[in-house]
Amino acid sequence: MLFSSIPFLYYFLPLLLVIYFLVPKKGKNPVLLIASLFFYFYGEPVYVLLMIGACLSAYIHGLLIHRFRGSIWSKVFLWSSVITSLSLLGFFKYSDFFLENLNALTGLELRLLGLALPIGISFYTFQTLSYTVDVYRGDAAVQRNFISLATYVALFPQLIAGPIVRYTTVEEDLTQRTHSVENFSDGISRFLIGLGKKVLIANQLGELCDIFRRSSDQSVLFFWLYAIGFSLHIYFDFSGYSDMAIGLGKVFGFRFLENFNYPFISKSISEFWRRWHISLGSWFRDYVYIPLGGNRVSKGKWLRNILIVWLLTGFWHGAAWNFIVWGLYFGFFLVLEKFFLGAWLKRLPDFLSHLYVLFLVLISFVIFNASSMGQAFTDIGGLFGAGGHPLVSQEALYQLRSFAWILLFAVVGATPVPKRIIQGIKANPTGRKLLNVLEPFFLAALLLAVTAYLVDGSFNPFLYFRF
Amino acid sequence: MTDKLKHIAVTVSFLVLTVVISLLCLTHKSIAVSDSERRPLAQMPDYSADKLFSGNYFPGFESYTVDQFPLRDTFRSLKAFIHTKLLGRDDNNGYYQADGYLGKTDYPLNEESLSHAIDRIQFIREKYFGSGSHNIYYSVIPDKNYFLAESAGRPSMDYEKLTQTMENRLGSSMTYVDIFDALTIEDYYKTDTHWRQDRLENVVQTLGNAMGFQNKPEYTVRELYPFYGVYSGQSALPSKPESIYYLTNAVLENCAVYNTETGKTGPIYDLDRFDGQDPYEIFLSGSQAILTIQNPANTSGDRLILFRDSFGSSIAPLLVEAYSEVVLVDIRYVSSALLDRFLELTGEEDVLFLYSTLVLNNSSALK
Repeated sequence: MLFSSIPFLYYFLPLLLVIYFLVPKKGKNPVLLIASLFFYFYGEPVYVLLMIGACLSAYIHGLLIHRFRGSIWSKVFLWSSVITSLSLLGFFKYSDFFLENLNALTGLELRLLGLALPIGISFYTFQTLSYTVDVYRGDAAVQRNFISLATYVALFPQLIAGPIVRYTTVEEDLTQRTHSVENFSDGISRFLIGLGKKVLIANQLGELCDIFRRSSDQSVLFFWLYAIGFSLHIYFDFSGYSDMAIGLGKVFGFRFLENFNYPFISKSISEFWRRWHISLGSWFRDYVYIPLGGNRVSKGKWLRNILIVWLLTGFWHGAAWNFIVWGLYFGFFLVLEKFFLGAWLKRLPDFLSHLYVLFLVLISFVIFNASSMGQAFTDIGGLFGAGGHPLVSQEALYQLRSFAWILLFAVVGATPVPKRIIQGIKANPTGRKLLNVLEPFFLAALLLAVTAYLVDGSFNPFLYFRF
Repeated sequence: MTDKLKHIAVTVSFLVLTVVISLLCLTHKSIAVSDSERRPLAQMPDYSADKLFSGNYFPGFESYTVDQFPLRDTFRSLKAFIHTKLLGRDDNNGYYQADGYLGKTDYPLNEESLSHAIDRIQFIREKYFGSGSHNIYYSVIPDKNYFLAESAGRPSMDYEKLTQTMENRLGSSMTYVDIFDALTIEDYYKTDTHWRQDRLENVVQTLGNAMGFQNKPEYTVRELYPFYGVYSGQSALPSKPESIYYLTNAVLENCAVYNTETGKTGPIYDLDRFDGQDPYEIFLSGSQAILTIQNPANTSGDRLILFRDSFGSSIAPLLVEAYSEVVLVDIRYVSSALLDRFLELTGEEDVLFLYSTLVLNNSSALK
């Protein structure tokens, strides 16, 4: 089920809110679990069993790791948990990729499995992994209540597109969370802002990208419009989803960590990755990079570690070569920054280092969104005049004009400027009172505006569902 | 307002809004057809365990919730307003307003579709009009985008390429009648796709010059109000009602229209249709597979076979005076391979293929 859908907003959510806040405290987790399973069942009737299987596997492995703590069996069960989780992910997400490449390499004609990707499998697999690893390390207490653990894994706000919530983050909230009007109000505000980012901005930028792909009137300007449009689209789509997840979590008493922190204002690629999809970056750091030795090893091994982490980061996003290249591309620039560019970037005027990041990120997203490496090269070439396209085309100018305001809103909205303006007004007592009066009206208007878009049946896919 | 009051206001307003809308959704009576969008609306899907577990139930439910949303048209208009006025988009779902007219972007030229349409025309010509002494013509009706797009820098299909492609493939076997210059945007309804029958004099004259007839009869212009064209509802953009016009005289009033499919005979103008879903269907009762207009005032025995889309319904009455019989064939509703079951040809008919660019560019329905 999509958050940005009529069934979610006007059927699922109101009903769940009523039931959830009516049942006593001990009934809240079962209510959330049942609701979350239904939420998943709505889009993936069969794969809900797979998700329950993942919960069971994590639960049993957690108990076994804890039971045999101090003996070799604890490690065996940890590895069993890791292998089980990654095998499921590998089978459902990567089988066809490996078969295709094996066929291409050997000339074999092995049949592809053609499995539909279970929605959110990359997210919940990483969550269950973090649980068993943390139990093994002693960073988290084993969860003996299956309902509580399953509620953590299946919790619908973050189930299908993250953020990747670690067990330790919500361990306490699973049993001792508090509910208040303040939390509810803040959570709903965050949810509605995310909904607005998704429906009013991301979807339209997605439409621009679609128009570009269908157009027979491409030009250099159009390629740039597409590259900028897609970079902003993916940011508003994914950060909008994270806002919704964090907001809904808060409504139900959970405190999820932030997943984005204005990544486009970064002055280096390493800063960009501290601000973009924070939960994924920190997951790879804590569960892959540091266990491999991090940077406290020889230079050769350190380079190997970086290579592995970014190869996996790319591969996590999709079973295709362009995602692997996308990950390695960032790995390459991170190494460059560590060895050469870092000091140079610090000396550059701010606007040049911003430009450096924006340019590299923009190219990266062109690779990311390509259907193949061939298309990625064509699209990057198109940005620089390759392919014999004219500089400007009639349609590019038209779309630039038609999307100008949305692009402007998106560019400004991707910076902390609106937040700073609001904070500035709130610093003044009168301004704060005024904003407090306006906020409920603004949020109600936002909900109605989003509803209007959904009723009109506009363009509405979530990009990160495919991961 | 204090922070605490704000939190209460946000919480209460959200709950009230969602719960009230939810209750309206649950109690809203299903509507079968949307008059404004001119399409059937999704209904609550039938439940079965098979459908549920195969994942086929909820997509239908989702469509139902969207289509049957309370105050759907109001929300669609609100969306169009936000889209075009607040977010500055030039069009709403491809529909736009220009110079007081509603238009729809049909872009780019779909060469595959055009090729399919030409294949159908060639097939008909070869199968039914390959022998005999037929005079065969074809003409293309530009859609409104032809007039509205360029001035505002909107994308539009390559009309020149369209007509050139048709000429290249059909040129040797039939005569092209160019009516692009006989039309202006004023010849179309502001809120509808179609042209105005009362403003087709130039088009009829251009066709007559090419096909060898001179029609200059006197007509009385009749007016029906209010007319909301198809773009009015589909675009959800604000638009004023206009009048629909039709031309009549004694000759047209004495004509009879025979519908091959139903076996019924009726008048040229079916005025009851004005209150129906598509008021443009007052012209020959809309698109029908095969219609024959019999004109008792013309005893020459001349026949015109008009292969047409919905634009043909309004121009056919203006061609009728030159012929004893005008047969309108719409191959969206009858397979071109089966026409000999329904058409009796004398071998001397005039044949006119008259299609709008809208159909040529989206021709999958041509059979």
